[in-house]
Amino acid sequence: MKIVEKFKALPDKIRAIPKKLSDKLAGAKEILTQGNGKVTASMLVMGLGQLIYKQWVKGAMFAFIQIAFIVYFVLTGATDLFGFFTLGTREGNAWYGVEGDNSVVRLIMGILAIMIIVLYAAIYVSNVKDVYRTQCAVDTLKKPVGFKQEAAALLDKSFHKTALALPVIGVCVFSILPIVFMILIAFTNYGGDIVPPALVDWVGFANFGKILSLGQFAPTFFKIFGWNMLWAVLATALNYFAGLGLALLLNKKCVKGKAIWRAFPILAYAIPGFITLLGFKFMFSYGGPINYYIQQGGGEAVGFLGLDAKWSARFIGLAVNAWISIPSTMLLATGILSNVNTDLYEAARVDGASSWKQFIKITLPYVLFATTPVLISQFIGNFNNFGIFYFLRGGLYADGYFLASDTDLLINWLYNMSIDNNYYSIGAAISLVIFVITSIISLTVYVLSPSYKQEETFR
Amino acid sequence: MANLSLKHIYKVYPNGAKAVNDFNMQIDDKEFIVFVGPSGCGKSTTLRMIAGLEEITAGELKIGDTVVNGMEPKDRDIAMVFQNYALYPHMTIFENIAFGLRMRKVPDVKRYKKDDNKGHRAGEPVLDKNGQEIPVMRKYNKQELAAKVNEAAEILGITEYLKRKPKEMSGGQRQRVALGRAIVRHPKVMLLDEPLSNLDAKLRTQMRSEIVKLHKKLETTFIYVTHDQVEAMTMGTRIVVMKDGFVKQIDTPKNLYKYPANKFVAGFIGTPQMNFFACTLKKSGDKVKIKFTDADAEIAVPYAALMKTTPHYLDGNKNVILGFRAEAVSLDGAGDAKIKVKISHSEELGTETLVYGDLNTEGGEDTRIIIKAGGFRQFEPDAVCTASLDTEQIHLFDAETEESIMPRVPEFNYLDCSVKGGKLTFLGTTETLPPAISCADGKGELLIPVSAVKFGGGIKAKVTDSETVNGKILLTLEINGSRLYALSDKERKGEVSIGIDYKAITLRVGGSEVLPMPRINCLDGALIAEKKDGATVYCLLIGGEKFAAPEEVYTKIFAATTGRKAFNTAFRYEWDAYGLSVGENGISAEVEGMLDYGEEKFARVNAGGQTLYVKTDADLSGTVRIVPDAAKVSVVESERRIRIV
Amino acid sequence: MNKANVKVVKAKTKRVLNVLITYCILILVAFIFFFPCLWLILASFSKSGSIYSFDGFFPAQYGFDAFKSLFTDTVMYNYPRWFANTLFIAVMSCILGTFLTILTAYCMSRFRFKSRKAMMKATLLLGMFPSFMGTIAVYLIMTQFNLINQHWGLILIYSAQAPMGYMVQKGFFDTIPYSIDEAARIDGASNFTVFVKFILPLSKPMLVYTALTSFTWPWSDFILPKMLLIDKDLYTVAVGLMSLGETEFARFAAGSIFIAIPIIVLYFCLVKYMINGMAAGAVKE
Repeated sequence: MKIVEKFKALPDKIRAIPKKLSDKLAGAKEILTQGNGKVTASMLVMGLGQLIYKQWVKGAMFAFIQIAFIVYFVLTGATDLFGFFTLGTREGNAWYGVEGDNSVVRLIMGILAIMIIVLYAAIYVSNVKDVYRTQCAVDTLKKPVGFKQEAAALLDKSFHKTALALPVIGVCVFSILPIVFMILIAFTNYGGDIVPPALVDWVGFANFGKILSLGQFAPTFFKIFGWNMLWAVLATALNYFAGLGLALLLNKKCVKGKAIWRAFPILAYAIPGFITLLGFKFMFSYGGPINYYIQQGGGEAVGFLGLDAKWSARFIGLAVNAWISIPSTMLLATGILSNVNTDLYEAARVDGASSWKQFIKITLPYVLFATTPVLISQFIGNFNNFGIFYFLRGGLYADGYFLASDTDLLINWLYNMSIDNNYYSIGAAISLVIFVITSIISLTVYVLSPSYKQEETFR
Repeated sequence: MANLSLKHIYKVYPNGAKAVNDFNMQIDDKEFIVFVGPSGCGKSTTLRMIAGLEEITAGELKIGDTVVNGMEPKDRDIAMVFQNYALYPHMTIFENIAFGLRMRKVPDVKRYKKDDNKGHRAGEPVLDKNGQEIPVMRKYNKQELAAKVNEAAEILGITEYLKRKPKEMSGGQRQRVALGRAIVRHPKVMLLDEPLSNLDAKLRTQMRSEIVKLHKKLETTFIYVTHDQVEAMTMGTRIVVMKDGFVKQIDTPKNLYKYPANKFVAGFIGTPQMNFFACTLKKSGDKVKIKFTDADAEIAVPYAALMKTTPHYLDGNKNVILGFRAEAVSLDGAGDAKIKVKISHSEELGTETLVYGDLNTEGGEDTRIIIKAGGFRQFEPDAVCTASLDTEQIHLFDAETEESIMPRVPEFNYLDCSVKGGKLTFLGTTETLPPAISCADGKGELLIPVSAVKFGGGIKAKVTDSETVNGKILLTLEINGSRLYALSDKERKGEVSIGIDYKAITLRVGGSEVLPMPRINCLDGALIAEKKDGATVYCLLIGGEKFAAPEEVYTKIFAATTGRKAFNTAFRYEWDAYGLSVGENGISAEVEGMLDYGEEKFARVNAGGQTLYVKTDADLSGTVRIVPDAAKVSVVESERRIRIV
Repeated sequence: MNKANVKVVKAKTKRVLNVLITYCILILVAFIFFFPCLWLILASFSKSGSIYSFDGFFPAQYGFDAFKSLFTDTVMYNYPRWFANTLFIAVMSCILGTFLTILTAYCMSRFRFKSRKAMMKATLLLGMFPSFMGTIAVYLIMTQFNLINQHWGLILIYSAQAPMGYMVQKGFFDTIPYSIDEAARIDGASNFTVFVKFILPLSKPMLVYTALTSFTWPWSDFILPKMLLIDKDLYTVAVGLMSLGETEFARFAAGSIFIAIPIIVLYFCLVKYMINGMAAGAVKE
């Protein structure tokens, strides 16, 4: 119902785009047509207009930024930018002692250069806007905002600018830049034999075509994708309902010493994941305790996690994942359950509802409602659950799969191909596909979820 | 301690929604003003604009003599009490109260920090070269802080809790702390945003009287926001009733109750709610018959009670709403108009009994009536009784606009008249009509606005009654045995002579109609800045002509706009006829006709499609140039419809 | 016995049965969660060390050899060094990461600036990329900045990526009533003062939670250290333990216990905070 409405609203939103754009352009047009000579001065030389308005510090700062940018651009920026498009022109040859261009470094430095240019452009625009704002203030007989006021505002009105500067830079360099790099890699032939010092080239959408059509990739992709979806649904459902059940169990009035009972799952929650996973790997290994008892009972040692153990390995993965994830769901559900209005239960009891009915009619809808966003993130987390099979069964390649085993999720396959086997560009393309799938699922649900819509009602 | 002035205050959100519309009010020092209205009416927004927590879109807000638009809350010298108290949970009560003081500085002079070898003692003022003390700002010291906090705590009786944390206190105590935090700084204005709505009923009543006492004690201006009309009525010296961003009425509690200006105020103020019935009025003789639309009932009211009502409501066709309070009806036969009521049930409240009934004895349309009866009384359900209504206490509202049709100050005097040969006869006197009014002979009606009755003229009258309404005096005059209302600035008694301002009257005689001269002339234009001899001159640009604007006008325009919007948007400039004159450099206009009102002459001109009325002494014709007086302009921003000047 | 009595008895048996089943399940759950931990603890006290010499879940012989060798036999596996490395990296990333995350969350909760919605959606979107695909790029960036094989490189990455997970903290700040900020502003505080004097003290539980999560991530991460740390001496515990084989199982178990204990202790502290919540008594419910 809601989704339908969302989609119905879509054409209106699209129709609103030109208006939004023209609103943006109107601001630029206003500055261009109504800006005075000082605005023009700042357009030509950053900070000049401010200096003419006798805003010395501000003007000097803008001027300095421009000089710094020019120096950067002349020294390295221009070559970096150029390198982004060519990905290097000179192939290195150790034999002849030729130090060639490293295409991958070219690419990353190119992205960095583009980011710096964008940043510079933003500062440039704010420079023009600033001097125009001063002009407006002067024109309408208001006191222009001086440097001192602006600096003071950085701790008050625009405290967010001060506070967000560091996080934004950090995220740009260490989160956005890598992701942009990865996206771009998907459009190159980087990988296989073509790794530096060989020169990498742009190939457009060829990698995506390969995943879907080429013999070696396509079957593996679809097989893994099917298992991945099944895994995500099963794991999420299992963890969610088991965690909820556990929380309800611990919430029962007859349970004494709740803190102690709760401590066991929390213990499991607290142990670092890799220890748990390696521990379970040992437990189910050929020489592990499980097989010991099987052999004691006269049986043959079973390769629970061996190369041909398809379903047993899958079930073990599911169980181990549950062991790790149920405690966190339990804690969350406990918190939510403590917020349920107890009057509701009393009213239900008076009405003669059984405890099962109470669960179905009151608890479940409420908890589901409150945990929708968590459910999504758990689904995504399970979809991209790298650790489980990496630790339990890493490095196995099964028959019928290309560089993967039958328990591997897309993300494990990705790892095998790109990190272990140099198929960087194909790996990047696959990760884009994963991204598109997960983002469509979660964005849709997230935007429709009440917690997103009601954000403003807190205030 | 200060007065406040709110002029044309608007709050417009970026999406165009108007939360507050043209709020105008003068608040005197030491007043207790209550903003009341249903949720979403803009009362809290207005309060938050006064506090500085919400930006004022347009308008001028003064605290004392300072315009505080755009000033930070902390610089406005106000204090605010929030609905959820907003105490600082991690601080003790002492710290809660002291925090505001810690953030502030007091003027002092520079002093020696410790004794030195030149004979200066610690605490002694440092003198400069000329032997003058050096003024500095310093923080409150410990003793001062403690003294001030204790003073505030004592007033509110929370001295013993100063070391506690807010969560260790009850709701009422927290409320006191919130009040203490506000009063400790001795602010000029106290703002209270629904401070009692989180308390239980008993505590609320108690805190109500304490806040009133506090107000008396502090002698500070209080502005109090509530949705509870009982709070408003019991606390306020004046009440502002708001709805949907509009001010519905500003008056004292008594006047709101007795003279509601519209159906909303009538229904909002007072419990139980006023009874409302759709009906029609028909005058017959000296009685007015009120016929209920939804019930088979009719009552008669003496015309004297409806004297101020506009006559065209009395023709029996126009839908009006009759309102009367539960105490205006009685089941004991005390009133003068009888109605049949079928009782449905009653609520015995101890001192009184509320009787719920229906005017429609047969059922049908919903015609619920609530009647107040004294003491404990038992009533048979479904019994039909006769209730009597006190016709002195009825209210009538227009069914569409919901405005009162019997306002305290009537808009017009409705008079019968006759015209013969340019002479107008009314109220037994005859006056010569000015040349501007040409009218066929015959009998008809004359509408004289109450404000168009001037003192000093040819008609003799006798003052029979006078009452003060909102600072003006409404006089009831008697002329040859008939009644005429007039407004006066000062008290008048006995014989007065009056005249009529003919340009404001409406005359309907023999099928022809003479309308009053429009009071407001509108011209669309813009604002521009021009360099002249090195100085910048700001001009109103109207029809290609420029008129230098006085400082007051352009600064207000600048204050109400952002960026260079003042130069990029359209304004509607308004003048009355006296604000326009004929001159040399002005807007070109064609003279369409002359209006000669005897003492004054006006020209009706057409300037680019706009009809204007211009005061002139000479007879004009052809093309003239109209010069507006920029000092008398009022300005409306066309796009957002915001009145700026 | 009349009918009513039968009913009462029936209800009583039902209740007893209910309690019985509840406790049975609880014991089972406790066993499931506790047994693997117990197994690891027991294994760490195994004398021989290799998993092949166990009698099922239980070591054949008990002894402190594993612990001894963990801290003394440091030629191949320098566990104390790894532990110190991990602690240094985790503590530094925790301090920086918490600081940045809290700042970000505060801004997102309290300020309404132009790019806010866009930033919120962007972080959501970025969070959906398979994270380690970016590690190739991170690796290349680190080589460009000469931060390979250095602990500060890891710290930089951990703390720079921490603000991406600001949503939980923002949600918490959203529940601190805005009127407290407003009251403070009327009292004369700037937004910076509001943050330092009100928001921070009021969000102690959230600070603890944030610190904990930004501590545990570097504490138990293995992909980044494995990629960026080359020298064995610079390894973190996670990378180091992964290099142990099945024959070193006791040593693995002993090392695991040491790395798990700090986290477990911290988590139990957190539970206290979780249950306490914030008794914001000054504000209406």
